[in-house]
Amino acid sequence: MKKYILIITLLLTSSCSKWLDIKPQDGIIRDNYWQNKEQLKAAVVGCYSSLLNNWLVSELFVWGELRADMVSGTLNTGIDEVNIMQANILATNQYTSWSSVYSTINYCNTVIDYAARVMETDKTLTQQALDGYLAEAHGLRALMYFYLLRTFGEVPLQLKATDSDNSLDQLDKSSQDQVYAQILQDLSFAESHALETYGSSAQDKGRLTRYGIYTLEADVYLWNEKYDKCIEACDKVINSARYGLMDGSVQSQWFTNVFYLGNSAESIFEFQFDQQQLNPFYAMLIVANNRFIGSPRVMDEIYGIDLTDATRKDIRGDGGSIRATDQMIWKFAGATSGTNPTARGAADSWAHWFVYRYSDILLLKAEALAWINRGPEALDLVNIIRTRAGAIDGTSEAPDPGSAIDVSNYILNERAREFAFEGKRWYDILRHAKRNNYAHLEIILDMVAMTAPGNMQQSIINKYRDVRSHYLPINQYELQADKKLVQNPYYQ
Amino acid sequence: MKPIYIILLVLVCAGCKKAPIISQTSDEVTIIGYLEKDPDHFSDFIKILRITGDEGFLGVYGSYTIFVPDNAAVASFVKNTGHATLESIDVQQLKDVVKFCILQDTINTTAFSDGKLSRLTMYGQYLITGANNVGGETRITVNRQANILQANIRVSNGIIHVVDNVLTPATQTLAGLLAGNPKYSIFTQALRETGLFDTLNIPASANTDSTRSWLTVLAESDSAINAAGFSSYAALKARYSHSGNPKQTDDSLHLYVNYHILYGVKYLADIVMSTSHTTLAPLEVVTAKLSGQKVLINDDDFNGVHETGVELERSSSDNSATNGVLHHSLGHFAVKIRNPVPVYWDVADFPEIRNLPAYFRKQNYGFTLTNMPSGFSVPGPSAMTYTVGSTYVNGDYLMIPLGGPGRSAYIDLKTPLLVKGKYKVWICYRVQKQSNSSNNLNQISIDGEVMQRTMNFTTAMPATTEGEMEAQGWKWYTDPVSNNWGARLVGTIEIKTTERHTLRFTTLQGTQNNNNLDMIHFIPQDMDQLYPRFKSDGTQVPRP
Repeated sequence: MKKYILIITLLLTSSCSKWLDIKPQDGIIRDNYWQNKEQLKAAVVGCYSSLLNNWLVSELFVWGELRADMVSGTLNTGIDEVNIMQANILATNQYTSWSSVYSTINYCNTVIDYAARVMETDKTLTQQALDGYLAEAHGLRALMYFYLLRTFGEVPLQLKATDSDNSLDQLDKSSQDQVYAQILQDLSFAESHALETYGSSAQDKGRLTRYGIYTLEADVYLWNEKYDKCIEACDKVINSARYGLMDGSVQSQWFTNVFYLGNSAESIFEFQFDQQQLNPFYAMLIVANNRFIGSPRVMDEIYGIDLTDATRKDIRGDGGSIRATDQMIWKFAGATSGTNPTARGAADSWAHWFVYRYSDILLLKAEALAWINRGPEALDLVNIIRTRAGAIDGTSEAPDPGSAIDVSNYILNERAREFAFEGKRWYDILRHAKRNNYAHLEIILDMVAMTAPGNMQQSIINKYRDVRSHYLPINQYELQADKKLVQNPYYQ
Repeated sequence: MKPIYIILLVLVCAGCKKAPIISQTSDEVTIIGYLEKDPDHFSDFIKILRITGDEGFLGVYGSYTIFVPDNAAVASFVKNTGHATLESIDVQQLKDVVKFCILQDTINTTAFSDGKLSRLTMYGQYLITGANNVGGETRITVNRQANILQANIRVSNGIIHVVDNVLTPATQTLAGLLAGNPKYSIFTQALRETGLFDTLNIPASANTDSTRSWLTVLAESDSAINAAGFSSYAALKARYSHSGNPKQTDDSLHLYVNYHILYGVKYLADIVMSTSHTTLAPLEVVTAKLSGQKVLINDDDFNGVHETGVELERSSSDNSATNGVLHHSLGHFAVKIRNPVPVYWDVADFPEIRNLPAYFRKQNYGFTLTNMPSGFSVPGPSAMTYTVGSTYVNGDYLMIPLGGPGRSAYIDLKTPLLVKGKYKVWICYRVQKQSNSSNNLNQISIDGEVMQRTMNFTTAMPATTEGEMEAQGWKWYTDPVSNNWGARLVGTIEIKTTERHTLRFTTLQGTQNNNNLDMIHFIPQDMDQLYPRFKSDGTQVPRP
């Protein structure tokens, strides 16, 4: 008898709580979260962690490099990747998916929507600290929308957290101007509230500091041809004296500090992969059946080769961004540089993704200077970059300082050397080509004339002549999920 | 009692409904099904299919690519052909139109190029594709006649591309195209006088000679011929026709015309994808390259001298005919008469190693199967090593592991440009045995033609006198001479075309790593075979 009572009691007591309490047992619900500042910080750090999504970084690499001239495919390159290289981009291409970017945006939205609640329960959280966290979320959201703006042109602006099925919004595309305005709005909040430092070097490079925000601003302003504002933002970073170029006199040391370890003094913002969270580059770039290598022109033309003296070389070339012997993309693949370059192993493929380095500030500023008739100053900045890198004479140019386009084309070439494979090349080309209402479309056309396969060259040139083709189509699944989206006209 | 009720109930319920009879293997829409769903756009094309009787096969299983003109396109086609209604058009003409827009394969726009589609249409002519930009908007074009309005519509039996014009096949032969264009009058006259006009005047479908059913003509316009100094056909004939009878196949004017006709259908996109093309002139090739956006013919570096080629103008080329394609050459070109010249080929000097200044003539570099230089190929598993050794010519050589398991069975080397003619071929190597028992006997073949004699990397040269050695097929090639540095004559070969050829070492016996290949000499058979010799810094030492 006793036994039965016991069992019944057990059943009653245990089942009661299961039936009546419908909170999830393996997670935490929103009402129980956002209670203290530690949780707030964890949520912000979570935003950054979402950047380590391997698919996101693969896309950033593909978007930034494949349509440009510095990456070549191999026999193992996927069909979607080849199609991007050959300007055959359809809405079915997997690289037209923007979901990984929006997922980071949603993390940011969640912080932005709910962070203020913490103030109610945690009295130790100051308004200033709260604003600091919010600034990071706004800054990161701006960076994500900036990628979307440059890649897709028109995208829907999702600015509210999507935390349940009810809050799924059907959104229209916003125009490029609207997206740009939103980015500036996020940045203006971020720049006035972001912290100058988080106390450690690693955190300062892995989280958006105020200077990271300024750098992003400079990039955004330059994209929209606001040269004075771009220079203003660059100067704030330069005058802070917190950053400088790493010494390049010994290539192997320079490589180890800047690219192998990351978080160097010249770094402004990086996606910090580590041994727990590896990047996608091992399978893409390092293994024997890798999918991408540097194109032959990277060594032949971009860095140039001093055929008479092997010791005179651009540190950014062989052993810096590429291994000349097999064209492996060394920036992400190399473990060592110098005379004995060895590649990273599978467990060491944690090279950071370099969003901004100090050299970007210098060259962004130079480009802006070039377009407001301050060519000589621009060329001085370029020379700082070249001197540090030991660029060979063969790649030096002497443009007329009074000619904005000549100086700016030289800067474009220098950017190719400085930021090889960092996912910037296509955006650089596009920014130069589209400047002044596509006054220099030939920059893109000349590039594809050189890189296109001979039997498709004319078709590819004509496709790029249609400037609408410079932005990707909306992925077919997004079109099905959000009925308000309309496919970009070029791809209809 | 109860079970009976249940059974009854079941029977009653089931009996009410008719069992559906499945009459189709798939409920996916077919090409016809898709077109019928949208009569606003495709009713006229359906009508054409009904008239020609082609509706049936497009409605069932298969894999097709079809370029469907929409109603507006069909309407303008009817108008342009001078008819009032579709029904009044000749059925055969409609059949041709239908056959010309269907391919028996599924071809996505991602497989399009500047040239022809990889498959013939059912009509038997190729379609060409491209992209055209008008007013800033780019459309994919088909056969230069229509733009694609909607691409890659996937249905159960193929792919539909909607186009804005009816595609119509070419009706003229190459000869017809040339004769109809006054700017080719001199070239056309040359065709007529050489009798080649008739060769070009047979539609592919009617040609009994399958090798010549499809041809490509690189026609020179009158202005190009004039610019080369020939004011008329008579001047051209006076310059070339040495026998006075251009109909003779060995007459130089005949050769000149033949040299402008390539085998096969080669649009510019096809021409630039191959470095050389055979012509109707026996054993003569034209070389082709893409320079920037220009298509150049016979633009070569020969013996260190650049020879400027002629351009095929893009805008006036790629003209389809019923038996091939016509291109417009902006310049005058003819068979180049070249006398064979010796080629002293340092195999360890190629662009890929020159681009590595840290290695080139400084230190060894081991190539792997994945990064072999473009002129070399091995089947694996072994590759080759660029090796530096001061006593070798130019201080370097290639160490090529060959033979049995663990090493590649052969290696292919792309030679420098060789002028057609007869050559003696000398393999220059430094003898070395990996171990006492090592052996490595190789057969040499050029373009698959096996040379008379084998060579063995482990065999030392029998050193006697120059003359005796030459008689036995040996020579010294270094200066100062050394018996370890032998050149083995592997035979005489007739190089039939002036281009780069493929030389292969195939190991017949033995296996080892230390096959030290330094140079290969191709020396015209009537020239001095023993000199020049080479110093280790590469300088030539002529016969004293």
